Amino acid sequence: MVPGYHRRPMPAAALWPRRPPAARACAVAALAWLLLASGCGRDTSSSGPPAEVPTAASMKIYRHGLDQGPSSLDPAQSANIYANHVAINAYDTLFSYQYLARPYQLKPNLAAGWPEISADLLEYTIHIKQGVHFVDDPAFPDGIGRELTAEDFVYSIKRHFDPATRAQGAWLWQGRIAGLEEWKAAGADHAKEAEGLVALDRYTIRIRLTQPYPQLLDTLTQGYSAIVPREAVAYYGREFAVHPVGSGPFRVVSYDTARIVMDRNPKYRQEPVDIWEEGYDPATQGEFGLERIQGRSPPFIDRLEIHFINESSARWNSFAKGDEVQYVTVPNEQLDRVLATRDPVTFRQEISDRYFGYAGLEAGFVFMAFNLSYPEFGYNPDPERERRNKALRCAIIKAFDWPARNESFYGGIGAVFPGIIVPVVPEFDPDMSRESVTRDVGGARRLLGDNGWNAENLPVLTYGTTATVLNRLMYEQFRAWLKEIGYPPEKVVLKPYATFGDISRAWKESELPWVSKGWGLDYPDAENTLQLFYGPNGSPGSNDANYKNPEYDALFRQAKVMLPSPERTAIYQRLNQMVIDDCVAVTGVTRTRVHLWHKNVIALPDREIVGGFFLKYVDVADVPNGGER
Amino acid sequence: MELLQYTIRKLLAGIPLILGVTFVSFLLMVYFGPDQTYQLIGKNPTPEQIAEVRAQLGYDKPFVVRYADYLRELGTLDFGFSDSTGEKVSVLLGRTIPVSLALITPGFILGNLVALMLALIAAHHRSGWVDKMIMGLSVVGMSISFLIVVIAFQIVFSSSYGLGLFPVRGWNVHSPGDYFAYVAVPTMATVFVALGYNTRFYRSVIVEELTRDHVRTARAFGVPPARLLYRNVLKNCMIPIITRIVFSIPLIVISGALIIETYFGIPGVGKVTFEAITSGDQPVLKAVVGLTALLFVLAQLVTDILYRAVDPRVSLK
Repeated sequence: MVPGYHRRPMPAAALWPRRPPAARACAVAALAWLLLASGCGRDTSSSGPPAEVPTAASMKIYRHGLDQGPSSLDPAQSANIYANHVAINAYDTLFSYQYLARPYQLKPNLAAGWPEISADLLEYTIHIKQGVHFVDDPAFPDGIGRELTAEDFVYSIKRHFDPATRAQGAWLWQGRIAGLEEWKAAGADHAKEAEGLVALDRYTIRIRLTQPYPQLLDTLTQGYSAIVPREAVAYYGREFAVHPVGSGPFRVVSYDTARIVMDRNPKYRQEPVDIWEEGYDPATQGEFGLERIQGRSPPFIDRLEIHFINESSARWNSFAKGDEVQYVTVPNEQLDRVLATRDPVTFRQEISDRYFGYAGLEAGFVFMAFNLSYPEFGYNPDPERERRNKALRCAIIKAFDWPARNESFYGGIGAVFPGIIVPVVPEFDPDMSRESVTRDVGGARRLLGDNGWNAENLPVLTYGTTATVLNRLMYEQFRAWLKEIGYPPEKVVLKPYATFGDISRAWKESELPWVSKGWGLDYPDAENTLQLFYGPNGSPGSNDANYKNPEYDALFRQAKVMLPSPERTAIYQRLNQMVIDDCVAVTGVTRTRVHLWHKNVIALPDREIVGGFFLKYVDVADVPNGGER
Repeated sequence: MELLQYTIRKLLAGIPLILGVTFVSFLLMVYFGPDQTYQLIGKNPTPEQIAEVRAQLGYDKPFVVRYADYLRELGTLDFGFSDSTGEKVSVLLGRTIPVSLALITPGFILGNLVALMLALIAAHHRSGWVDKMIMGLSVVGMSISFLIVVIAFQIVFSSSYGLGLFPVRGWNVHSPGDYFAYVAVPTMATVFVALGYNTRFYRSVIVEELTRDHVRTARAFGVPPARLLYRNVLKNCMIPIITRIVFSIPLIVISGALIIETYFGIPGVGKVTFEAITSGDQPVLKAVVGLTALLFVLAQLVTDILYRAVDPRVSLK
């Protein structure tokens, strides 16, 4: 081990002993160089040290490893789980998910309790907790964080409709909360009220909907709905995106492309955890030591560091080192080293001895869809061609070898399932026919032959993808499968795109007949994937397939205002079947994520749905004071 | 006075270069670079929202107007805010360039000094086994991909599967010990690869010099080999050596070392530049391209002045 690798306080005399002038000049240069080297982190804490700062040696630090970092820390731009990892830990949201319950269950967070909902399901009255303060920051008078009020929530949601914000979350509430579009059209003046979103008093919010929105509370768990103080937005302007000022369990200390450092917010409200209310299941979670946090108030660590490590080898090496990141989502190339068996997933003994771990399905899926706006594959003015196009799509779906895809690219531990209702949502039907995910080369050939398709008249299929080796391999595998059903390889053409932004543009502008993508759930409700095929969401919306089925659309509209019920589930499953029957998509696989963390970390890590909501409850055991706070 | 006049003349002559580089780069950015629109809009956007974002990014303005804006930004060194992170570009570069400098400089210096030493030894023993061994190792250094070197060095020196002597990744520098720990493996990797290219280049320059008449004469006069190499050979080789070293500096300052920064988790300008390229963050890209062009002009100036310093026959006129 290199001396000085661990941060230790250094006496001033050691840095500046008596030396002759030349040596002193060298020492000055060395010191300047060191300052240059160390002056890197963007220090976002500008209000001086908090009252009680533990020394580095006694600090409880948890280092989390993520495969990407957020591009912005502004909740209004928290479009992915990476941004959410920060947003919901630096800021407060009205609701949250229970720490340990699976499937995911909502719970009040900053809300003082469940909302009062009118009989017509259109009006929500939400009371928020009193005495919650933002962290101290120069944005406030005298640098002292003020109390968070209902008006702050109203302001934070309205920001999504204010063009000055460059927000990305408006889609959650547009057309749902009354008056927001009108407010925007009238100039997005924050001094003016929006009809459906008002603060009735200092601690009461009223939300008026245009139609029932069963997922509303789910949207209020997300980073998008995190509550920001208006003063900070005004004070930092565009740079608010790198200067978070929230009331969450942690406050951001520094942030760069490699990591974010967040210290415990000393002002965070004291709310003892009841692990049983959080959904604790001793049978499946008992080994992780979670009882230790029972009755204590989070956060339990002094410092949270999230390291953004794109390269899987570096991520794994850092985790395995023992004194660096303490959590990793196991990369596919390490699965052989980690797993003893894949079905069911079990760990090798040496891994179980060193780490805690579990394998869980992602809240999302990977699928491919035909863009039906292409007359070669989809809708066609000629009904006969349209019928033949459907047969062509069905044949391609039959040619697809999901088990092989799973084995080649998802470590063989993904869950292949039919349709677009993913396994982690309650509406998933495990007994559904698996015909659409079962390879049938003979059936595919018959379909093509019976419908007049041959090597000469099959249309060119342009396979757009980002230019990575992995995607190229996926394309080659797909092309080989199509060759087996008689699709000439030269008619399956690769179109590489340099960046994800470029291919996103191609999808949104409907430039590709074949869309290959992954979708992460925004909330644990099948509506979130069913809307991917809802007609009005066609390009540039999320229905990249441009599937337009009046029956589907009518049923979707009917279901989307219904509360969870067997009736709604039945409709969801009919919608799912329609997508399968119309051969719109090759779907799908839900990847299994294997989580490992060090044994001194008391946690149940999770990165699904909102992402990072467990971080508030993480504890670390081996610190000199025994880990008790 | 002569130097000042020369400096002014050179800087003025650099303006067309800067204009040319920035124009071509901006053309590529605008017409072939990634479009940030779809990374900045939410799900299910309406055409109006897309148009709104495009307007905010300035994509709706004519090219000429955008280029004129760029030149104004370059003139004032105010490139606005990053489209991705919202951070002020000057702050972003001010924060990351020093880190890249601190990271790369030891490897850069060692890579050149050691290569120069090895090149002198190899040239002195030209065609002997020492020369062949040094050149063989140089070829190894040149042949192995930098990516492989970085991964291998990280495993060997840092990971728990190897020696575990240094941190795998990070940049938490608070003392000379920290600095040494974090910079050691990246420096070794940089030197390993740089030695290959540099040693071969410097050897060929030195070998050419060794064949000159003045060297033969010095040898005939019995000048000891070490003195001969230093005084009669190395000093006369300085012009190509300076050219190579000085022109590498702008790339180090601005481009940083992407692979090293990415694998070792170091928040330098290389990673920022790469992310700006892949995401199409034009304010950052414009700053990086403009500053690189500017630094090349300065490098050219410094090189010319150094030519004069090492060889008084060179005229600044």
